Amino acid sequence: MMRSFFTMLAVLLALTTALVTLAGLLLERQPVLLAGALATWEPLIREWSATLLQVFSISVAVSIIIGILNLLLVHLRRSGRRETGCGYSFVLFLSAATVIGLTYLERENLLTTGAEWRVLLLEQVQVTVESSLAGLLLFGLVYGAWRVMALRVNGWGSLFVLTVLLVLGAALPLPELAPLVPLRDWLLAVPVNAGARGILLGIALATIVVGARVLIGQDRSLRSGRDE
Amino acid sequence: MASVEQIGLWTSFLLTLMVFSYLLGDNLLYRLAVFVFAGVAAGYSAIVIWDGILIPWLHDTLLVPNATLDQLTLGAAPLLIGLLLLARSWSTRGDGLSRLALALLIGVGTAVALDGAINGTLIPLLFDTGEGVVAGNLDSILLPAGVICTLVYFQYQARRVPEGAGRRRRHVQLLAVLGQGVIVITLGAIYGAAILTSLTIFSERLGFVVQQAQVLLPTPTPTPAPGA
Repeated sequence: MMRSFFTMLAVLLALTTALVTLAGLLLERQPVLLAGALATWEPLIREWSATLLQVFSISVAVSIIIGILNLLLVHLRRSGRRETGCGYSFVLFLSAATVIGLTYLERENLLTTGAEWRVLLLEQVQVTVESSLAGLLLFGLVYGAWRVMALRVNGWGSLFVLTVLLVLGAALPLPELAPLVPLRDWLLAVPVNAGARGILLGIALATIVVGARVLIGQDRSLRSGRDE
Repeated sequence: MASVEQIGLWTSFLLTLMVFSYLLGDNLLYRLAVFVFAGVAAGYSAIVIWDGILIPWLHDTLLVPNATLDQLTLGAAPLLIGLLLLARSWSTRGDGLSRLALALLIGVGTAVALDGAINGTLIPLLFDTGEGVVAGNLDSILLPAGVICTLVYFQYQARRVPEGAGRRRRHVQLLAVLGQGVIVITLGAIYGAAILTSLTIFSERLGFVVQQAQVLLPTPTPTPAPGA
């Protein structure tokens, strides 16, 4: 009984907040949407919408902080239990603690080296590992393209690999491959452009369908497992 | 004594080699680099969110001298939502309250997603694709045709045949096949571009490793020829 009451309340809350926020966002774009007596509600709806958006963004930030704290606590506990992979967990915890600790020391002017440790860590650790992983991706991508043709040769696979080769070939600064450049440019301007637009439109339509499900109270995420 | 910059370059050099050691297979060094990366990224995210979002918010609401009830309520709301989201993990009794917090986030999130999908993607892309048809050349007709075929490929409505399976109409099947071709070409071009990007990053990293190796490792001094 109590459970279904909370479910109903949750659906009602989601519906109300979604409608108020959506109305506020639409009014931002089209101020003449409401006319007559309804126009008096306009400033109020805008204010509520702005407040809800503010609370939403701060709540998401709080959730991320809680998530990071949880991640660190899980790895700290794991490194304390000395189970498999506890060393990696300790390294993760230590790295995060170093960044947070150095930032604190820097802010309190307790570091006397004069160097910006936080920026240095960002540039020499985070950017380095990120770019090295992105560079490593090259091998995975080439291997993947090879696997497409090695496992099962069909029309679509061949078309895919041909497109990849065309894009790669046209990027090479060889005069023998110069005729590929206009073909590559046309491919990017027409079929690739059309495909990308189609995929984006598909995503937008799917988002609208999911949003409409929430607006009519049909979304399952608001119900607990026992309600269904 | 090595300067902070030199320590940074050494770290970057070692981390690059540790990540690239994955080419020999999954190993301890690669995993260490990845866990360091995860820890540093978590630490940075926490600092950026704390400094850039939460502290300004608290200064504008809860920490304002002589804050009004509205400011206090507004400031405490995201913290309360964060606590309610955690309530689910603490006890089953907190499930209902947790769902209310989740409902608020889902409601506002849905409104933002709907606004983004309609005003940010659907309307601009539809207008842009439609405007091209006015130009009247072949490409301007092929582009919307490609978009339509891509969208047709993603719809799965079909007539039920007596055997129980679903079958699409012939013209829909034809459009879907053309759409599949457009999607394959699009994904192929994106794949090729990803290979080019990762190749560029990989060569930059490799250049850095070679350059650092030349700086860090002692260069052999030429031995004088006998009798010179």
